[in-house]
Amino acid sequence: MAVSGTLYTYPENWRAFKALIAAQYSGARLRVLSAPPHFTFGHTNRSPQFLKKFPLGKVPAFEGDDGFCVFESNAIAYYVSTEELRGSTPEAAAAVLQWVNFADSDVVPPASTWVFPTLGILHYNKQATEVAKEEVRKVLGVLDGHLRTRTFLVGERVSLADISLVCALLWLYKQVLDPAFRGPFGNVTRWFLTCLNQPEFKAVLGEVQLCQRMAQFDAKKFAESQARKEKDKEPPKKGDKGDKEPPKKEKPPRKEEKRPQPEEELDECEQVLAAEPKAKDPFAHLPKSPFVLDEFKRKYSNEDTLSVALPHFWEHFDREGWSLWYCQYRYPEELSQTFMSCNLITGMFQRLDKLRKNAFASVVLFGKDHDSSISGVWVMRGQELAFTLCPDWQVDYESYTWRKLDPDSAECRSLVAEYFTWEGEFRHVGKPFNQGKIFK
Amino acid sequence: MAAAVRGAEELELLERLLGLPGGNKYGVQGERKVPVLQTNNGPGLRGLMTIAAHLVRQARKDQLLGSTAEEKAVVQQWLEYRVTRVNGGSSKEDTRTILKDLNMHLEDKVYLAGNIFTLADILMYYGLHHIMVDLTVQEKEKYLNVSRWFNHIQHYPGVRQHLSDVVFVKNRLYTNAH
Ligand SMILES: N[C@@H](CCC(=O)N[C@@H](CS)C(=O)NCC(=O)O)C(=O)O
Repeated sequence: MAVSGTLYTYPENWRAFKALIAAQYSGARLRVLSAPPHFTFGHTNRSPQFLKKFPLGKVPAFEGDDGFCVFESNAIAYYVSTEELRGSTPEAAAAVLQWVNFADSDVVPPASTWVFPTLGILHYNKQATEVAKEEVRKVLGVLDGHLRTRTFLVGERVSLADISLVCALLWLYKQVLDPAFRGPFGNVTRWFLTCLNQPEFKAVLGEVQLCQRMAQFDAKKFAESQARKEKDKEPPKKGDKGDKEPPKKEKPPRKEEKRPQPEEELDECEQVLAAEPKAKDPFAHLPKSPFVLDEFKRKYSNEDTLSVALPHFWEHFDREGWSLWYCQYRYPEELSQTFMSCNLITGMFQRLDKLRKNAFASVVLFGKDHDSSISGVWVMRGQELAFTLCPDWQVDYESYTWRKLDPDSAECRSLVAEYFTWEGEFRHVGKPFNQGKIFK
Repeated sequence: MAAAVRGAEELELLERLLGLPGGNKYGVQGERKVPVLQTNNGPGLRGLMTIAAHLVRQARKDQLLGSTAEEKAVVQQWLEYRVTRVNGGSSKEDTRTILKDLNMHLEDKVYLAGNIFTLADILMYYGLHHIMVDLTVQEKEKYLNVSRWFNHIQHYPGVRQHLSDVVFVKNRLYTNAH
């Protein structure tokens, strides 16, 4: 009887693909649970019910309709395979196992080191990347030599060896193995493409585009995924349903629960977060504006503020598409140590990370310990305060008073000049400039 | 020299591979021994390509003729090559050219039409069998891509049947062979 059961995973997990492709060959019926409400990665797999079945709490994990449970992606793929995929003689089976283990021990580690930074889910380290590239070159060389005289890795048919290696090489071929790098490994590419074009692979992987240009470290994506991670660490907000238990004060000790794991493994999981569908752009409804914020930011960062950036700003500022705001921290009496006040500002900037494309600000701390205030000037897309557009952005804005500025007024001109240059009298404040922070 | 698989013999191999009941009677026509098939309804069919395509459709395995327009064209191209060049040529020189052509084509492909097994692979295999049987180990290594392809096709379920298994060495013997 054909195997049937449930495969728990996060979406687009290459490790889960192995079992899914094998199932295409064998006719095993796999129900994939990868998204809420049935499965929430990082949540469901840490619940006691899940851990009872799969003590490591890792995915992919398989639960047969008959109750049989197995974790480790290779074991799952093996279980749902046919005899032919597993290798039907002891020699063939050993050779299959050889390549499956080779994929995990020789391909996956350098592939992760090289590829993840390009996906923005692992920090870039030039030296590590260069070492990884050479290791990838070496394993491709080994494979190329083997595939010179062979169509598939073991025997003359597709086996678990091909399935495992194709999945392990998938990110490499998609992200970084550009035509020049893969050029010397024509036998590998021929085999890879033929596997991808087998209907059983295609049914799971869809159309795979081979890399045209080697992807580089994506600092922006990395910052975004870090910010998401930060957000993820915050306690759930009130009104956030999901847990049926009555709200308790303490948050689950998630961090402590985590066993130390190699950095790679941990970070790979953030792939999920990186792969999260992009939230809708809350500014999408606004008509296009001629004011290019990035251009102003470049001027502001690289050139003299007073003589270049400010004139540029007033020349290009589009009062229809953008607005200017003055904000003041409501509770100055609570501000004690200046470093804490600074954290207050930078924390707010971090939470507003996703607003960076649509806002610019200079927020300044005035005064000294136990006698300070915070105020700032914001340039913001649209005519409304953007904070209400997205729940993430509402955390801080209630702690400030907000006043829209009239771009034509002298007051506005002088506020913008003072806050952007961090120079001037700041007469409205009555305390000396201490330090400023720029949101850009 | 091994005898070439041709005419009725080849078409009967194809019938069996396709799982057809058989029973067709084939004849040959003219000096070049073009196969003909007399059908019950309509005129007889003439020529390897025509009859083979007919059998494939009869067996409802149309994917063997290619799926996309491009694949179909490439399948036709290699069937044509098979009929004109492989059947036509018999000199040592002709054989060398054929092996060279194929070796180049198969460098970055697993099957003649690219990524999928088609009628072109089947008929090219039958057409080349007598040549491959006679190759020396050095020659097999020289035409490495043809060897790899041939070995794969001869192991494809149902293809080889009673034809002899051609042996290929998978590890390089002559490291400097080009
Ligand atoms: N060797 C395992 C690796 C599985 C693994 O590391 N899974 C990670 C995701 S990449 C996981 O589920 N981590 C649990 C968590 O972070 O909650 C396999 O191939 O299945």
